This record gives sequence, structure tokens and C-alpha cells, in this order.
Amino acid sequence: MLDNLALGFSTAFTPENLLWCFIGVLLGTIIGLMPGLGSTTGVAILIPLTLTLEPVTALIMLAGIYYGAQYGGTITSVLISTPGEAASVVTTLDGYQMAKNGKAGSALAISAIGSFVAAIISLALLMWLAPPLADLALNFGPVQNLAIMILGLVIVVSFAGGSLSRGLMMAAAGLLISTVGVATGFSDARFTFGSINLLSGIPFIEVMIGLFAVGEVLHQIRRGADAPIRTRFRDMVISRGELKRSAGPILRGSGIGFVLGILPGAGSTLASFMAYGIEKRVSPRKAMFGKGAIEGVAAPESANNAAANANFVPTLALGIPGGGTTAVLLGAFTVYGLQPGPRLFETQPTLIWGLLVSFFIGNVMLLVLNLPLAPVFAQMLRIPYGYLYPIILLTSFVGAYSVSNNMFSVVLVLIFGVVGWIMKELDLPMAPLVLGLVLGPLFEKALVQTSAIGQGSFLVLLQSPISVGILLFAAALMVGPKIAGRFAVRRGPRVAATDDAETRDHAREEAGR
Amino acid sequence: MTAVHRGGLAASAVLAAIGSAALVGGLGYGVTVEGGEIGPGFLPAMAGGLVAVFAVLDLVGRLRRRPDRPSQAELILDTPSRPDDGIVLGDPLDPGAPTTSTQSIHSPLATDDDDGVDILGRTQRQRNRMLAVVLGLVVVTLAMVQVVGFLLAFVLLLFVVAVFVEHRRVLPSALVAVAAGVVTYAIFVALLRVPLPQGLLGLI
Repeated sequence: MLDNLALGFSTAFTPENLLWCFIGVLLGTIIGLMPGLGSTTGVAILIPLTLTLEPVTALIMLAGIYYGAQYGGTITSVLISTPGEAASVVTTLDGYQMAKNGKAGSALAISAIGSFVAAIISLALLMWLAPPLADLALNFGPVQNLAIMILGLVIVVSFAGGSLSRGLMMAAAGLLISTVGVATGFSDARFTFGSINLLSGIPFIEVMIGLFAVGEVLHQIRRGADAPIRTRFRDMVISRGELKRSAGPILRGSGIGFVLGILPGAGSTLASFMAYGIEKRVSPRKAMFGKGAIEGVAAPESANNAAANANFVPTLALGIPGGGTTAVLLGAFTVYGLQPGPRLFETQPTLIWGLLVSFFIGNVMLLVLNLPLAPVFAQMLRIPYGYLYPIILLTSFVGAYSVSNNMFSVVLVLIFGVVGWIMKELDLPMAPLVLGLVLGPLFEKALVQTSAIGQGSFLVLLQSPISVGILLFAAALMVGPKIAGRFAVRRGPRVAATDDAETRDHAREEAGR
Repeated sequence: MTAVHRGGLAASAVLAAIGSAALVGGLGYGVTVEGGEIGPGFLPAMAGGLVAVFAVLDLVGRLRRRPDRPSQAELILDTPSRPDDGIVLGDPLDPGAPTTSTQSIHSPLATDDDDGVDILGRTQRQRNRMLAVVLGLVVVTLAMVQVVGFLLAFVLLLFVVAVFVEHRRVLPSALVAVAAGVVTYAIFVALLRVPLPQGLLGLI
């Protein structure tokens, strides 16, 4: 462990990596606070820029954008009640009220401090938990890997939002898109319709840029301009009493965030909702919640950061992304020629430990950046969206072109931009589609190998205790919420008359966003 | 029936059709090879079949579904927007009410069939038209890449969108467009050496 940490520090502390880490967290903060620009979009747009960097440097920067955006998303939640990130939605409840009471400074300070503490706790847990999990996963053959991928898809579908059938539909659509082109292991070209461009398949980055960046721009144009921005707060001073009151919520939020974040697909949004809900139940100041309680900011902000880090446990140890952004990051791994999965800990220790240690450094930078500079960042909100979105379009298309030096990529971005916009308008969940697309080739490989081991039969899946365990867990996740939902709905008299299934469907949609 | 509802039905129908077509296509590629092991058509057929099945299920679900249910987010938070009757997220009449979805928080006024005016005084209909115009302009820009080159075409797009779609002032718009072009050139052409198409003009 200590050797690994030393290796990580020696990798992350080179001037180049420190610089790119700083650029990453700075861009992440800015991207997080821009309404309509989330961490997934930010990472997708910027992957092309990182192609000339060393993989470890590129990943340090991209990961910096991811957790930096968790800090930035808070600023808009507090100041204009408009979350820059889905994971900061809950923060609007008390954060905005605090800002209205003239306590914007305290709200931003406690979320920066809470985020930092949560990040450090969750990073320590991540470093402690990921390597043994990867060790365990190393013994997995194609049969177990297939079971894990099924589990990943099931989890993403059950937590990512939208109804179950819609989630499954999008996951299958992602798998289907991944089958375009010449399959690995076979010589047949599939669904290419005679196009040479499609022979190598539909490239991942173009789809991501289209879905997340262009799709979001189109969605925002139709949605209209946001409320005017007023930033009036004096300083970032926080009282000792406020710090004391927030200590418990920060620790509880970190714990809840980490546990939920480990589950592939559960993501930081759900974690922030759960942390807020639990805090509201256990707090002695229940009545203050929703009226500007600092605990209502501290808990969800700690939870979403802890979950963002915990997302890297399945991403790095199993090669199964924890959420939308980690799915895009995992796609970036393959772009740099790295095969995500447990073997990375053995084959690329410098990369893995350098990346993990850079999280520590990045979070320290973010704390330093966010405590005194949040008011400065808030000024960015004054950039009119009318200028911003054409620039996002330009960056998206140039970025796509630079990946392949081919106009076909640009056309693909436009097509998937329209698809992404339609999905947003219709509330079709993106995360299952992304995961299906990322896992597609690996899934097919595991299918082929499993089928070869079983000589055409998939019953081998049921002969390994590990894969049976994983599949049972997946089944429990599909059925469990249904049963739990039934109980929850029966308990609450307010909703007693409602239809259980519909409540659950709608619920997942909102909670998962 | 709202536009979202109709759109959802249409999307599910389209996906059901695509899924079925992929299933047939996949079967054509060969689901199994000699020895009974899976072939190149297995995953396409399976994924296509699943898309079709779940799209049909979703279609049925959408036809049966009634809106206005409390969400789990609200159950967790214990903050219904209207405690007594049907609960709606992001109540358009009361933007201050606790909302739990990004979309509803983002769109206090924009619903599908009304004339919700945003802060710049644009109605939903005008914004729909803006979207169509921007999409059209992007297509025109892509076509123009062959003529004036990639960078010039997109700088022009930036300017045209800012001035004619967003009604920003001409001089600042021109400055923003040129600045974005210069930065893009510096990063992608000068630094990363991406050979952006120069078109027939061959300028940059």
C-alpha cells in the first residue's frame, strides 16, 4: 500500500501532471457552474484535446473535470437556484434559502469544506477497497465477467432514471449501436449498409459529444433563458457554530455517498437525495430544513462528492462504470489504448496510483480555489447563453473532427445530437445507453467465450458460484425496489391511493436524474 | 395528450421498428456457428429483440400511465409541492416550490403547449422556431465547410446565431466569433496540428 502511494505521489507530483490537474479542476469548476454544461458533457468535449497527452496526464485532467464539476455545480444551486449538475439539485432547497437570508458565503464555504472532507474520506476508502476488489476480479474468467456486466447493466437501468422498461430499452439500444461494424472475432460486417465509414463501428467519442454536448444545447435553446443572476454576498466567512453543526451531516453524508457510489450506476444524484432525506430525519433542527438550514447544504454536498469518488471503485476495479461520467471516462481509457478492468492495477500501477493520488491534490486545489474564489467564479454566470452555445457547438464539432480527421465524425455528432435532444425532451435515460455502448464489445467477447466454454450452452453461467451470486444480486436489484416501493407506499397515508407501479416509475425518474 | 406524451409514443414505436429490423438483420448474420456456439448475429439479434420488446412494453406503459404522481425523490425529501392534492413537480405557477428534477427546476415556465415567455420575452413557439433555425444553420454550415473551410464556416455560424437568432449586438458578436475562431485555431491547428478542411477557398 505504502509503495503504491509512493508510486502515485511520484507520478502525480511531476510539474506537468500538477499543471494538468489544476487545469482539470479549474475547468471542472467552470463547467459545473454553467447551467447546461455538466461533467459528462465537459469530459466528452475535452477528450479530443487530451489525445496528445500521456494517458495518465489525460486521465488526471479528465477526472479533475469530473470532481471539479461537483464543486462548481453548487455555486449555481446556491446563487440562482439552478443546479449546474443534477447532483446539486437538492442543494437548491436550503442553499438558495441561505443565500436569500444573506448567507450565501456560509453556504458556499460549508459545501466546499464538506465536499473536501467527503473527498478525503472517500478517497482513503477507495484506495483501501479497490485493490482487493481488483485482486478478486482477477480470478474471474469470461463467465464471471459476463455476469458482472449483466449486473452493471441491471444496476444502471434500475437507478439511472426513467421507467424500468425505458431503461432496459436504452441499454439494449446501446448494445445494438455497439454491434455496428466488423465484430471482433468474426469477419462479418454488420449494419454497415455499404458504408466504409461504418466498417470500424460507430465511434464512442462522437456519440458522447453528440448526445451530451449538442443534445444539451438543442434542449436548452428550446427551454429558454434562465432567471437573471444576482450575486450579492460579502465574504466566505463561516462561524464556528455553523462548522460545529455541520460536522455530523458532513460525516453522515460522506458515508451515505460512498456506500451508494460504490454501486455501479447509482451515482451521486441519488446519494445527495438520500443524504438530505436522512439528515432531515435525524436532525434536531428539522423545522429549519427548507428554510436555510446549513445541514441541508452540508449533507448532500458531502454525499455527492463521496459518491463521485466511490464511483471509481467499480470503474477501476471491475471496469464497469459507476455513472454517466465514469462511463465516458472508461471510454477514454479505451481511446488511449488501455483495457479497463481489474488487470489495470497490475499492468498500469503508475497510471492507477498516479490518478488516485491526483484526486487528493485536485481536491486540495479545489478547496483553495473555492473558498476564496467562489464569488469570482460566480461572475461567469453573466456570460449570455446566446454566446455560449454557439461556442459549445463549435468546440463539439471541431473536437469530433480532430479525433478522426474525417467529416463523417462531424455528421455523426449532429445525428447523435438530435438523438440526444429527443431523448432529453422525452425523458429517455442516457446512462443505460452509454453503458450499453461502452460494454458492448466486451459483452460480446464475454458472450462468445462463455458460449465456447459451454460448447454453445449458457448453463455454465449457473455452474460458477460467483456468477450465480452476482446474477442473484442483479435479480434482487430488479425486484427489490418493487417490493420496497410497495411497503413505502403502503406506509404513507398521503399516497395510499396511488398506483404502486406508477409511483415507483416516476420516482426512479426523478431520483435518478 | 401533451407533445411529450405523443413524442414518447412515437419514439417507442420507432424503436420497436428499429429493434425488429435489427432482430431480422441479426438472424441473417447467423446467430450460431458450427458447434452451436454463438455467431456474429447473436448480439445484434438479442439487442434488437430486447429493444423491440421493451419498446412495446414502454408503449403500453405510456398509454396506461397517468401523470401527477409523487416521486420517490419527494418521498425521500418529504417535501411535496402540494401536500393535499395531486403533486406536480416544478409547479409552473409557483417557481419557488421545492422541485426535485433538473428539468423542472430549469423550466419554470416552459411547458409544451402553452406560450410560456422566458426572461428575454420569447414565447415557447419562438423558441421552437429558434431551435429549428439553429439546426438548419448547422446543416448549412456543414455543407459550407466544403466551400469556405471548416473554421470560417463555424465562425460564421457563431456570428449568425448570435446576431440573427439571439439578437445580440453586432460588434460584440463579431468579437466573440473571431475570438472563438482564433482560440480554436491556436489549439487545434497550431498546437494539435489537426488538418481542418480548408474548402475551396483554402484560406485557413
